[in-house]
This record gives sequence, C-alpha cells and structure tokens, in this order.
Amino acid sequence: MPKYYHDDPAWSDIDPLPQDDGTLHPLAAIAYTEEYSEAMGYLRAVMAKNEFSERVLGLTEHIISMNPAHYTVWLYRAKTLSQINASLRDEIAWLNPTALKHLKNYQIWHHRQTIIDALDSPDGEADFIATMLEQDAKNYHVWSYRQWLVKRFGLFDDEEELRWTESMIESDVRNNSAWNHRWFLVVGGRDGQAIGEDVVAREIDYAKRAVRKAPQNQCPWNYLKGIVRHAQLPISTLKDFALEFADMRRPDDIYSSHALDLLADIYAEQESKEEAERALHLLATRFDPIRAHYWNYRKSLLEQAGTAA
Amino acid sequence: MAPGLPAEESKLNYAAHIRYWRRNLKTFLPHHYTGNDSNRMMLALFILSALDILGDLQGALSAEERQGYIDWVYHCQLPEGGFRPSPATDFGPARNDENKVWDPAHVPATFFALLILTILGDDLERVKRRAILAWLRTVQRPDGSFGETVGEGGRVEGGNDSRFGYMATAIRWILRGNIEGPLGRVPDIDVDNFIDCIRKAETYDGGLSESPYHEGHAGFACCAVHALSFLDRLPVDKPDGRLRGITNLPLTLHWLASRQTLTLDDEDSIDTLGDESDSAATCHDAHSFLKLGSYPSSAGEQSFKDQPTSHFELQWVGVNGRPNKIGDTCYSYWACAPLKVLGYLDIVDGKPIRRWLLDRMQHLVGGFGKLPGDHPDIYHSFLGLVVLSIFGETGLQDVDAALCITNRAKRQLESLPWRRKILGLDGVQNSDWAQDGGIASVAGYASISGG
Repeated sequence: MPKYYHDDPAWSDIDPLPQDDGTLHPLAAIAYTEEYSEAMGYLRAVMAKNEFSERVLGLTEHIISMNPAHYTVWLYRAKTLSQINASLRDEIAWLNPTALKHLKNYQIWHHRQTIIDALDSPDGEADFIATMLEQDAKNYHVWSYRQWLVKRFGLFDDEEELRWTESMIESDVRNNSAWNHRWFLVVGGRDGQAIGEDVVAREIDYAKRAVRKAPQNQCPWNYLKGIVRHAQLPISTLKDFALEFADMRRPDDIYSSHALDLLADIYAEQESKEEAERALHLLATRFDPIRAHYWNYRKSLLEQAGTAA
Repeated sequence: MAPGLPAEESKLNYAAHIRYWRRNLKTFLPHHYTGNDSNRMMLALFILSALDILGDLQGALSAEERQGYIDWVYHCQLPEGGFRPSPATDFGPARNDENKVWDPAHVPATFFALLILTILGDDLERVKRRAILAWLRTVQRPDGSFGETVGEGGRVEGGNDSRFGYMATAIRWILRGNIEGPLGRVPDIDVDNFIDCIRKAETYDGGLSESPYHEGHAGFACCAVHALSFLDRLPVDKPDGRLRGITNLPLTLHWLASRQTLTLDDEDSIDTLGDESDSAATCHDAHSFLKLGSYPSSAGEQSFKDQPTSHFELQWVGVNGRPNKIGDTCYSYWACAPLKVLGYLDIVDGKPIRRWLLDRMQHLVGGFGKLPGDHPDIYHSFLGLVVLSIFGETGLQDVDAALCITNRAKRQLESLPWRRKILGLDGVQNSDWAQDGGIASVAGYASISGG
C-alpha cells in the first residue's frame, strides 16, 4: 500500500514544497510515482523548517525505502535521531533488514558507522555481517565495514577475528575479500611496523597450503608474494615452491599459470633471461593466452634490460 | 554458449544505440531510476556524452533544446557556488542560512555539470568558478582525501575513497588546469597530501582500494589514476622531485592486466565457488589448464566432464573488478581506462573484449547490460560505449578516457578565453600577472568570475 501524507491529519500543518525543474527541458527527468513525488515534497518542507521529530523519522524511512541513495536524507535522519534522543538500538534493528534490501548502497554503511560509533559497542555486528555475507560473500561494503569495526574497536589482535577470517577462506578459497581481510589483520594492524619472523613464516605456510588446494587460484599467490615483498625477502625464496607447480622441463606437467608468472620474475631477477623468456612464452601461448599481450610486454622488458646491460 | 566462431562479425548496432540514448534524453526515465534521483546530473552527462560519442549530438538537439538543457544545469547552480545533482533538494524561496546545509554543493554534481556545459558548447561564463575553487579546499579532509559535500559545522561528508578525489581534481583541472599554488586569493587544494592518500591505498597485489589495507578494486584504481593525471602526478620518471602516485607501476600493471577473465556469466561464477579442483570449468582465468587428474575432487571431475578442451572462449574475454569475480561491462572501463591514461593500453588485447561487449552485453534495444542477458541501463550502456571508443571503434568519436567526454568537447573547453588566460596560453598574461601581491600564477585571477 502506498503511503500518502495529504490526507493524513498528522501532517495537515505542512505545506509540501513541490520540485521545481526550472525549464521546459530538464535533463534525466524521472517518471516518479505519485507516492515518491509527494513524500519528497513533504521532506523538502520539513528540511526547510529544520524540523526534527518522530514523524520526520517515519518520513525519512519512507523516502529511504524508495531512494536509499539520497545522501542528505541520511544525514538529516542522523541529526533527527540525536535531536530527539531516539533509541539507537532500535535504529540498528531497523537498519538490518534495510541493508539486506539494498546490498550495494554506500550511504547505509556510513549511517551504520555513525550509529555504532555512538553506541560505542560492536555487540551483535559480527552476526549481522555473517547474514550479509550469506547473500554475497564478496560484498565490498560489508568487508569495508568489518574493517572499520576492527579499527574502531581495536580487534586486530583478537584471535576470534583471525579464526573467522580463516573460516571464510576455508569456505571459499577463491574469495579475495577474505584474503585481503587476513592481510588487513596481519599487516594493516601493525601501523607500518614490520611483522615478526614467526608471523612471516606462519603466513607463508598458510598461503602455500592454500595454493596446494587450488594451484590455479590467484589469491594465495598474490598473498604469498605480498608477504615475501613486505618481509623484504628475496623473491627467489619461493623458487622451489613455484617449481612444484611449473617445472618448465616438463611443460605438460604444469599446474599453475601463477607459478610460471612467479618463476618468470625469479629468473629475470637471477638474470636467467632465457628461462624467464621461456616461462613468459609458455604463458602467452599455452597457459594464459588471454593475457598474451601482457606476457609479450614482459618479454620485451627482458630484451630492453638485455640491451641496457 | 556453443563452441566455435560466431556466424557474423561482431557489430556495434549504431541505430539501436542512438535510439536508446535519444529516448533517454527526450522522454521521462522509467520510475526504476528513482534510486538515482540524487544522481540526475550524472545520468544527464552520460546521456549527452553518449550521443556526442555516437556523433549524434548535433542531430539530436534543436538550438532551443540545447539552450533549455544549459539553463537546467544553471538552474542547479547554488547561490554560493557549486551545483546540486538535481532540483530534488531545492527549497526555492524558502532556502536560507539555516537550511542550506541540507541543499549543499555536491562534488560529483559539480563535476558532471561542468562537463555537460562543455559538451553543449557553453562557455562556463555563468559558472561561479572562483567560488567552486575556494570550496574545493573545504571538501578536502586533513588526511588529504575528499568527501562529497560539506555538512554541518564544516564537517566533510561522504566516503574518503578516490571517487571524490577523482572528481575534485577534475573540477580543478577544468577550472584552472594543472597550475599549482594559490591563484590570486583562491587557495589551492593540498596536492601532496592527496597524493599521499592515494599511495596509502595501494594494495599488496598492486590494486588500489577504498582506504588503506582495504581490498583492491578497479573502480578505485581508475579514479586514483585519473586524479594523478589531472594533477600531473602520474608515475613518470621526471627529475622534478614531485611526489607521485602508483609507487609500484609494474605490480599495478600486472593487477590491471589480471582483470581480464573468462568468468563470463553467473553459471561460470557458481562453478568456482567451493570447488577446489582446477578444471577447465573452474579455472576461468586460465582456461587451457586441462591437466586431468591433478588435484581432483569429485565435484571438479563432474564439472570437467564434457567440457571442450580448446580455448574457444578466447573469442570473448570479459573484465572484472577484483580477483575471482565475474566479468561486468562497467569494469571494462574501470580496468582499461587507467591503462589508457597510464600509456599501457596495449598490454591488453582489445579485440576479444570488444567481441564480449558486442556479442554478449549489447542489447537488442541498444545500450549494454551489466551481465549477459541483462536489460541495458544508462550506467553500463555509457561505460561500454566509452571503452569501445578507447579501443578505437570505427565510427565512434574519440574520447578523453579520464573525462569521459569526446576530445572534440575537451578541445572546446581548452579553447575558452578565460581558461587560456589562467594558463597563460595567449602571451597576454603580463597585464594581469603582477596584481595581487605578485604571485606568479595570478594571471587568471581577474578572469575567474563570481562567488
């Protein structure tokens, strides 16, 4: 049932402000429903008066259900909540189903941060996030919000956070958001300080085990190379591991383009130009032809380096 | 999709696209666009720029319509400078100092408004240019990032990711080129602080993220690269000592090239979920891995059966926004445009991407959908068209990949007398340069009007 205001006695004191599109030739004009058009007229009228009240909360909720990307309506709602001392727990209870309806909306997350920040507690947020990730395990907003929570409530060293992240990687080893969250916890929480040798060893081991489960998955390879670079270890540290998946002496026994890619880097660093070229050639022609232009570009870099030397 | 080559050569259906965009221009958008009511200026730019790219702008508009559209854009200009994205927040005569915070100047709306005026051939003389430049400084936060509006108590509202930085630096480039430092009494943004912000958003795999240590995403990578280009801070080897963005260019190129994918529809995408085998069906990023028996799982073996063993899929290559995600029309823009701006477009093969867009994403009624079989929408239809133009599609006007307008429109902007004066291009700067304390870059101060 559409909701109208003109026949609602609770709103009889308000004269709606109609939208003024100015000229005969508005751009990107939308065929609004009567319901939206009327509600927006009342919103403009209350905003113009700076009215903050219970009924305004209802009105903003109504507008948000039709246009969740209306950026000032969220700010206006946040101000209303604080002006009338509304229950912030009730606000979260309302936000949960609203977020599930609008999975890709930016404003809703910003609003949630404002509310949770004021509540000063992350209680219940992990469960809510789990529900959201059931809909889309790679939803960028949800992961970003989780990262905000970790930062805001100092959860970098919370073992439960790392365990949960592992369970997300466990359920889909190709979920790059989960891999990145691990990086966020392990490296991001250090505020630029180097990570200890034991942690480096643990992370390298973790990524290697994930590669063994699915060698043609770019996430753990990227993670592995990232950790090695971050720890300032030579990339050749990974040579034996890469050879397990891509021994160029047996081109019919290659299991991973990412291993070949890594080997090309290692050989280039070790100035084994011919082997690096061979790895790139295999990538371009056989194991990753959709990126043939890129692998050929990498080959041309080897040649340039050769001429320079 | 059956293997083999398509019977016909892939084609851009010009007539259908022109019909699609003219309909968007001249008739009300369906109410499904209500969720974009706060983005009307963006939709308007996409509509007009698409027609310009298709070479139909002259034909589509009467002189009266053109003037009417220009007037509508100015109708959205705020008394204090900057633009609102639509009249939806306009209180009319009731607007005052107490309520104008709910009707603020908006970074994306201002960016899109300036581009629309440019495309329509307006000279931007009625734009409160000085006020906009002064305001830009106030939407920048102490950490260097930009928001979308200034809210109560001067608080910068909106995300702190590179989207708003892209648009704020574009506005700056449009209004004052890449001159650094104060322009008369108008302060500049803090360029180095913003560059620092971009550098901190670089990720361990070479992507760029929303904020430090978040996941790399092609949209944020693209916005960051474009912003660097507007600020003349791309990662080039110049001995000028300026702070530049993209600190590990080879890694970022690797990440951008890795956005090409053979995960082209929902079915492909589901195959990879929870299946840890590497068969032709699950390894969409390197389809020629056909090593049966290696790391098998029963599910993998099942999905491998009856799969073709040639890589016919190379006919179509999609582009995704993050590792192990499905190809999506808009990401062909977000991943390829930064390559173009960085000068490395040739590390991807445009041909199979073009075929993917034309054979699988182009809709019969014109426009492009997000995924195969989807109805077209303005956002995906526009970005699909821009990418085709970036790859040199015959018959399309060439575009500036960062501004998303034709080079024709960009040249028109660059020829405006007030802008040439600011940049000292006419050799007449001497009369103006000396005023206002002798700061070298005051040439244009006198010609920045309003506000």
